[in-house]
Amino acid sequence: MPRINSPAELEELRKDILSNRDPNKPCITLCSGTACHASGSKEVAASIEEEIKKQGLSAEVDFRKTGCHGFCERGPIVVIHPEGICYLQIEPKDVPEIISQTIKEKKVIERLLYTDPTTNKKIVHESEIPFYKNQERLVFGSNGKIDPKSIDDYLALGGYSALAKVLSQMTPEQVLEEVKKSNLRGRGGGGFPAGRKWEECRNAPGEIKYVIVNADEGDPGAYMDRSLLEGNPHSVLEGLIIGAYAIGSHEGYIYVRQEYPLAVENVDIAIKQAEEYGFLGENILGSGFDFTVKVHRGAGAFVSGESSALMTALEGRVGEPRPKYIHTAIKGIWDRPSNLNNVETWATVPLIINKGADWFRGIGTEGSKGTKIFSLVGKVNNTGLVEVPMGMTLREIIFNIGGGIRDGKKFKAVQTGGPSGGVIPEKFIDLPVDFDELSKVGSMMGSGGMVVMDEDTCMVDTARYFLNFLAGESCGKCVPCREGIKQMLNILTDITEGRGEKGDIELLKEVATMVKDFSLCALGTSAPNPVLSTLQYFRDEYVAHIEQKRCPAYVCKALVSYYIDPEKCQACMICLRQCPVGAISGGKNQIHVIDQAKCTKCNTCFEVCPPRFSAVRRLSGEPVPPPVEDRVLVRRKG
Amino acid sequence: MVNLTIDGKAVTAEEGTYILQVAQANNIDIPTLCYHPALEPFGACRLCTVEITSRGRKRLVTSCNYPVEEGLEVSTNSEAVIKGRRMILELLLARCPNVPLIQELAKSYGIEKPRFKLEDDNCILCGLCARICEERMGVSAISFSGRGLERKIDTPFHVHSEICQGCGACAFVCPTGAIKLEDITDKEPRPILSEFNVGLSPRSAIYVPFPQAVPKVPVIDREVCIHFLTGNCRTCENFCQAGAINYDQEDEIIEAEVDAIILASGFDLYDPSALEEYGYGKVKNVITAMQYERMISASGPTEGQLQRPSDGKTPKRLAFIQCVGSRDTHHKLYCSSVCCMHATKEAILANEHYPDLKAFIFYTDMRAVGKRFQEYIARAEQEYNVTYIRSRPSKITENPDNGNPIVWYEETTTRTRTSMEVDMVVLCQALIPSGSTKDISDMLHLSLNDYQFVDIPDRLFHPVDTEIPGIFACGFCQAPQDIPDSVVQASAAAARAAEFLSRKD
Repeated sequence: MPRINSPAELEELRKDILSNRDPNKPCITLCSGTACHASGSKEVAASIEEEIKKQGLSAEVDFRKTGCHGFCERGPIVVIHPEGICYLQIEPKDVPEIISQTIKEKKVIERLLYTDPTTNKKIVHESEIPFYKNQERLVFGSNGKIDPKSIDDYLALGGYSALAKVLSQMTPEQVLEEVKKSNLRGRGGGGFPAGRKWEECRNAPGEIKYVIVNADEGDPGAYMDRSLLEGNPHSVLEGLIIGAYAIGSHEGYIYVRQEYPLAVENVDIAIKQAEEYGFLGENILGSGFDFTVKVHRGAGAFVSGESSALMTALEGRVGEPRPKYIHTAIKGIWDRPSNLNNVETWATVPLIINKGADWFRGIGTEGSKGTKIFSLVGKVNNTGLVEVPMGMTLREIIFNIGGGIRDGKKFKAVQTGGPSGGVIPEKFIDLPVDFDELSKVGSMMGSGGMVVMDEDTCMVDTARYFLNFLAGESCGKCVPCREGIKQMLNILTDITEGRGEKGDIELLKEVATMVKDFSLCALGTSAPNPVLSTLQYFRDEYVAHIEQKRCPAYVCKALVSYYIDPEKCQACMICLRQCPVGAISGGKNQIHVIDQAKCTKCNTCFEVCPPRFSAVRRLSGEPVPPPVEDRVLVRRKG
Repeated sequence: MVNLTIDGKAVTAEEGTYILQVAQANNIDIPTLCYHPALEPFGACRLCTVEITSRGRKRLVTSCNYPVEEGLEVSTNSEAVIKGRRMILELLLARCPNVPLIQELAKSYGIEKPRFKLEDDNCILCGLCARICEERMGVSAISFSGRGLERKIDTPFHVHSEICQGCGACAFVCPTGAIKLEDITDKEPRPILSEFNVGLSPRSAIYVPFPQAVPKVPVIDREVCIHFLTGNCRTCENFCQAGAINYDQEDEIIEAEVDAIILASGFDLYDPSALEEYGYGKVKNVITAMQYERMISASGPTEGQLQRPSDGKTPKRLAFIQCVGSRDTHHKLYCSSVCCMHATKEAILANEHYPDLKAFIFYTDMRAVGKRFQEYIARAEQEYNVTYIRSRPSKITENPDNGNPIVWYEETTTRTRTSMEVDMVVLCQALIPSGSTKDISDMLHLSLNDYQFVDIPDRLFHPVDTEIPGIFACGFCQAPQDIPDSVVQASAAAARAAEFLSRKD
């Protein structure tokens, strides 16, 4: 592949690629992101390839393994083009039918389609599924259309046209102005205006400057950046090169966390291809601008996602944050100006260049422009990655897109922003999602994690969970974070295990205040958020744990006992047989009794007791009644 | 220059300095734990946090690494700052409840019993040790390992370091005493011993030899200074507020044309290790008279307490051995002249400090030839519990059970061989002309006599004239003598030199 030396040559190549692609040619796309890999898409892929060959359709049908489609609840996902027929939860055994029925005979297979839960109607096209319909997938949408290992796929969609425009028609200052005007705020968690950071870096003294892609994505449950990097790595590269041009940097780094091998693989391929085609290296597209980029793998620390810690790690040292009284945009890697932005932020840049800052400003709210990708997980029906305009309400996201709470339970709260964020209770369900609105209620946008919780979630345990995570991930350098989180965790563990004491809440708040104000980096200053916000909105749960030794959600095992109601037990022996530790005694016609000393609170008996009996009860904050004297069962008729 | 206010006080500072440095320069106290003037600010303990108002916004920042700004308003003790510091100290005390420094600091903020789960660590993870090893010594033998709750100071792979240079800087800067050199290296550290205290106490590479030194200016011992050995360190430079430390100084050779020379090069101590039978260097509780002098001195390493080397116990029975190396055909033939009297003085001092103490002086002849010297000796016997035994002991051994030296000698009055177990032995070592006496004499072509003292041809009529006109010698370099006699000779030499110079004109 000869190098592309000018925007004109790029357009030639693009026309060439498109002319060789027949939009009407049948194409099977299979989601091949990490989530679908876990659901078995590798086996489905093998099956599809085999079946196409078997049925002699190699010349007539294209097969494309694409990046993440986002509807991770229902993967592996297959979309048949050009019709856009969407099949969900495909297994290898469905493949022969798909090939023969849908590809050959153009017949839709009903059982593989999405069923709308309200209308019970089947939906054929991906774009009409409520999960997708209510989204605005400006950045993420291309994932379904390209094979991340193919740069030609990216070019076919118009890829690198923004870069060509920037290098041939705009000065670096003009690019900078456009990004500033768009009001693009960082998508990694800080929400800092990207244009302002770029400007500070551009104006900082020094010839050598660096641009960095932060793909450390450490929030538990957040995987937007992974899917973008795996599914559309060129979009990130293009944004990065444009940013480098605006800032005056010729060297870039992509810091990918250790646990994302597929992302590293696809980015490495993308970089190689971009170098081959001439989008990276010297004299890009004949503009005279040079830029190279290297991939650096992390070593398994959440704290390395903090920008100054990341830069310290890039220098080859242990990732520990440094004080940022002098911004890293002025003194970053090796004390040189370094501009760090999140994966999603970079991927948004080509869009802004192509469609203009005014277009971008037309989406979103006053303070938060554009769209944001969220990982919607937890107790919703439709878990996955969703991209919505800023300003959409939590209700719309959770119910219209997420499909509401699963198993008919009730919404309790949504946790946003990962370990740095807070919980948002039902009274704020109509809150528009934007940077400032979320902060106002004591949470934050963070990188976009959205964990939906129902009545079975214990808020005290949630706070303990996040503190436990942070205690393990704190770098340990500063006293407030290391010692403060440790002791807050001790207190919370005591509370969840029934050793809570009067004064614990006040002590938690006191420690939390100091940790928030005195910690060295944002890991520490935001660590108290889960505690403070759960205390703010669910104080009654804390009080119940401490004063009544009761867990209202029946989650904290030390505070929960299992009890078989002798009035309801029908001695069916199901729970007795299923109990993994043999704690249940009884027999046919003999009422079952749980031995509290042996019970491990695994919840099995509660789950397997037939619903028509519902004899197993969970008790919390009250003593377990002693076993009845007479255990002979009097069977009820009917 | 930048103008700012700290606690309402207007101060100025150079651009690029940090708030803490400015505060310290203006005697405003801000507590710190991980700060060190010779190291890059670390910002780990957060104790130095202050509240600043900058561009209209109030913020809490660490003063050790926040650069000064024009118009900055700093409060070092606002309510938020005090509350936060108190909580930090409470948490630290929970981690290290038995470390005196943390106990004191916490107490000063009203914390005595933390409300948290107690641990029992003695390291506060301030990093001073690792940072000085890396930044100043350039070695990095120890550093932080582990993350978060597992964080600790360690050597690579938890084994003894091969690159540790045994300088002890880490243990020196550790505020809690948590660093033990033997955990880092299996090499035996070689302590730098104070020459003035005859090896009884250590000194640093940059030191003032003794409090009364003239000039009282520190000197750097290039043989042991890390900077001169490795090119690193230079920590002392960061402390000298006068900027007086200059590592490039060289000895200055001054050439002067003179008309007369007075040689007063004094004496050195003869090393009694040469007398193996007395066990110096092997039997722990055998010391030299000079060491004894430093010990009994109120400004010495033990502040005047007699603490015997093996266990620090106060001796109750003290033996002095005279003529160690003097009047000895194997060592020095001459009598050193001052030892009989100084041993008596030392025995008297010992009894004055410790009335229960008995001293035994093993002598050959008591040379008490000065004015009222003999009466002094009689008083020692009568009033100060000093016993004089006429004998030159043959050997000193050690009682392995308690470290007591045993003196083996012949009772010359009864001609019986016997031994005496004491608690400590003082060897009155011979005094010899100083090493420089020979060197200078060679340069001046002065002869030395058979005993290596500067030769005085006519002791009777020209007691301070050497064989060369215009060159005079006084004091010990020409004959063993005590202080009064040396002073007399010094005056004599000065007078002779003046006479010589006046005659030249």
